[in-house]
Amino acid sequence: MIDNGLLVQMILGALLGLSVYLPMAAGQLSLATPAFYAVGGTLAALLSTHGSSQSTISLWAVLGEMLLAAGLTAGLALLVGLPVLRLRGIYLAIATIALVEMVRVAILNLPFTGGAAGIFGIPQPFQKPFGYVLFSGGLLAVCGWLFQRLEASRLVRSMAAIRDDELASRCMGIHTTRVKLTAFVASAVLAGITGVIAAHYLNTWNARQGSFDVAITTLAFVILGGSRSWLGPVLGGLLLTALPELLRPVGDLRLVLFGLVILLGPVFFPQGLITPTLLERLGRWKP
Amino acid sequence: MTITATATPLLELRQISRQFGGLHALSEVSFQVKEGEIFGLIGPNGAGKTTLFNLLSGVTPASSGTIHWRGQAMQGLSPDRHNRLGIARTFQNLRLFTGLSVLENVLVALHRQPQGNGLDALLNSPRFQRHQSALRERALQLLDELGLVDQAHRQASGLAYGDRRRLEIARALATAPALLLLDEPAAGMNPREKEQLCELLAQLRQRHQLTLVVIEHHVSLLMQLCQRLAVLDFGRLIAVGIPEQIQRDPRVIEAYLGSSR
Amino acid sequence: MDTLLQTLLNGAASGGVYALVALGYTLIFSVLGVINFAQGALFSLGGYLTYLLLGGKIGVNGALPGWGLPIALPFWLALLLAALGSGVVGLLVERIAFAPLRRRGAEPLLSLITSLGAGVVLVNLLQLLMGAEGYAFPQGAAGLAHLPDSLLLGGARIRTIQVLLLAISALAVASLSLWLERSRSGKAMRAVAEDPTTATLLGINSVAVVRLAFLLSGMLAGLGGGLIGMSVSLAGPYFGISYGLKGLAVLVLGGLGSVPGAIVGGLVMGLAEALISSAASGWRDALAFAILFAVLVLRPSGLLGRRQLEKV
Repeated sequence: MIDNGLLVQMILGALLGLSVYLPMAAGQLSLATPAFYAVGGTLAALLSTHGSSQSTISLWAVLGEMLLAAGLTAGLALLVGLPVLRLRGIYLAIATIALVEMVRVAILNLPFTGGAAGIFGIPQPFQKPFGYVLFSGGLLAVCGWLFQRLEASRLVRSMAAIRDDELASRCMGIHTTRVKLTAFVASAVLAGITGVIAAHYLNTWNARQGSFDVAITTLAFVILGGSRSWLGPVLGGLLLTALPELLRPVGDLRLVLFGLVILLGPVFFPQGLITPTLLERLGRWKP
Repeated sequence: MTITATATPLLELRQISRQFGGLHALSEVSFQVKEGEIFGLIGPNGAGKTTLFNLLSGVTPASSGTIHWRGQAMQGLSPDRHNRLGIARTFQNLRLFTGLSVLENVLVALHRQPQGNGLDALLNSPRFQRHQSALRERALQLLDELGLVDQAHRQASGLAYGDRRRLEIARALATAPALLLLDEPAAGMNPREKEQLCELLAQLRQRHQLTLVVIEHHVSLLMQLCQRLAVLDFGRLIAVGIPEQIQRDPRVIEAYLGSSR
Repeated sequence: MDTLLQTLLNGAASGGVYALVALGYTLIFSVLGVINFAQGALFSLGGYLTYLLLGGKIGVNGALPGWGLPIALPFWLALLLAALGSGVVGLLVERIAFAPLRRRGAEPLLSLITSLGAGVVLVNLLQLLMGAEGYAFPQGAAGLAHLPDSLLLGGARIRTIQVLLLAISALAVASLSLWLERSRSGKAMRAVAEDPTTATLLGINSVAVVRLAFLLSGMLAGLGGGLIGMSVSLAGPYFGISYGLKGLAVLVLGGLGSVPGAIVGGLVMGLAEALISSAASGWRDALAFAILFAVLVLRPSGLLGRRQLEKV
């Protein structure tokens, strides 16, 4: 069944789903999340193993790493986002894929990141998975609260408008560049701090953590869950991470499953599982 | 409201040209729009009217020539900058935010009103709540003026065609413009509805201190609504003046091939 | 240490393969305006099909270890059939990932996602069938056995297989260009690419043209995969994905929708990679993406592409 270890992975999946969702909520198909996830994880791996070979690390140190990762990914996202977000549709998606690959190869080739094997023996802030469950679960809860609170804010409303029609949004005076950039940076920061947690949880970290595969799986979370509300990618992330583990025999077919979700989802379930109608019934959607 | 004879026109086009590759969409168009007037822009299909609106709203840059807003030249500004300077528009092919409700379409355009910052939103502070209710009030007011308040919570995509056109106007008004560009606002309307639209536009101009530029290619509507008209044909300005003059202008009649009614 | 000539030839040879992949993208992009993200997977498929048709056997990690086709075809036939096989699967991808969305009038960006899914499914099925390990092609593949291993050209030794690679891809590119230019169906395809509405009015069956584009595109990818398999090896089913992504870089570099752009872009990319490979091989993979990124940011229309304007 679902043990704490799986639960942690599910929550991390949900967090990554949220990261992919953010630019989409502003109409941008950005697949850059794995790049920032990789940056965060690598930073944590490097900082915590540098010079010392202890197996434990204080929670405060981890929080410090998260802060640094947030700063680093935010800076990177600002740098990259400004030119990239001028691109539309296909071009943006391709540019973000290129970014992911560049980051992956960079991490693979930099002398201090351990090459293909990566970095081992990353110290743990918690002795048991349950600690991670609480920690990452807490982060997820905070994110959820933030998203819910900001639904009525000008920022989120502008994002929804840009998603529907960017040109009309601009003609109505909305600072579309600023809004898109905010979503992109927020997405990057979320991916980065998730990477920090993941690096500690997994105990090892290498370049493959930030590969194209991750882009596929996280995209599947959003497709399945639905991209009209933040609940969608959370549900998608939880479900799709749990499913292959629960259906043990299917384990090998995990990626085939994700592929099928991405292939058939838009055709049969264009709105994903969490549809606006469903939300309306749940009383959360304010039409 | 009378048309004040100010020295500087609100809007002035000087030798505006726009080419797309080999296609001359606009060629050396020059005219002025005075503050407070209702100005019509007519011409057969393909004459360049919407292109002109695209230039005025910053969607596309001019190939040559200048646009002057309140005496200042506007060059290479973004559409959102154009809007914040006071120019709002509707679209010929309707560009509503279809995933949003009627109310939200207007709310999102109320950027001139104070909204509080993100922190206020997070804490749901009293100040935030006050701003939110002020916003809603203003939005509902605008919807009421355009007869849409009963449908405030409907999704924009579910509206009837005529209502959608009016929602676009409400949304544009929410940006508190000085100049409102209306691209074929009467499209698809029967004569009775066109009458009502004329009355509505005159009222809106009064109440919101607006200047209007209206594109139509059915001339009769504009004859009763507008103080002055400009006529485009194949990207060139062929006439500008009061409706009576335009009606009798032989070049205009020719451009419409006798269908100037 | 490879001589400059060898390096350039390597570059041209791999450039030829990149051009094939990019041309595949170009065909579909010009008639549909979308990118087929399954292209890389079809590349892998072509590689494996060629392997099997040459008489190769499935390895120990595959679903049926030791199994193989009871035939061993000459290399040119194996390539042809493998290409056809990939083309047919390409048609299947069109049926499942593109057609339903087009019928619904959905956003074109969605088919980017569904084709991505199709590619993932295909590659992972290949992995299940063939295993994840690398495959070296049967030594002395029929028809190649009697060719010398390397040739002496201008005082330098060059691997024969590279020359063959270049020759075959050049042949494929030339035939495609000729077909587009001269044949009835080729002209029909160009018409649909130029203006789909007018093309339909002129009686051109655009559905058939779209399907043809997918067939040819799949064939080009399959051929590329087979050629790479022959000249290098198959480094696991994901090797096609890597070529697919680089093919995208070439596509953007040359300009979306431009046939000569895909060819020129392919050669440029191949040569650039070969030159950097001798200097800093680890970073070679990043080069394609760095170029892609730079082009997108600085000149999205690429070297020879056309600018796209939004209608208001």
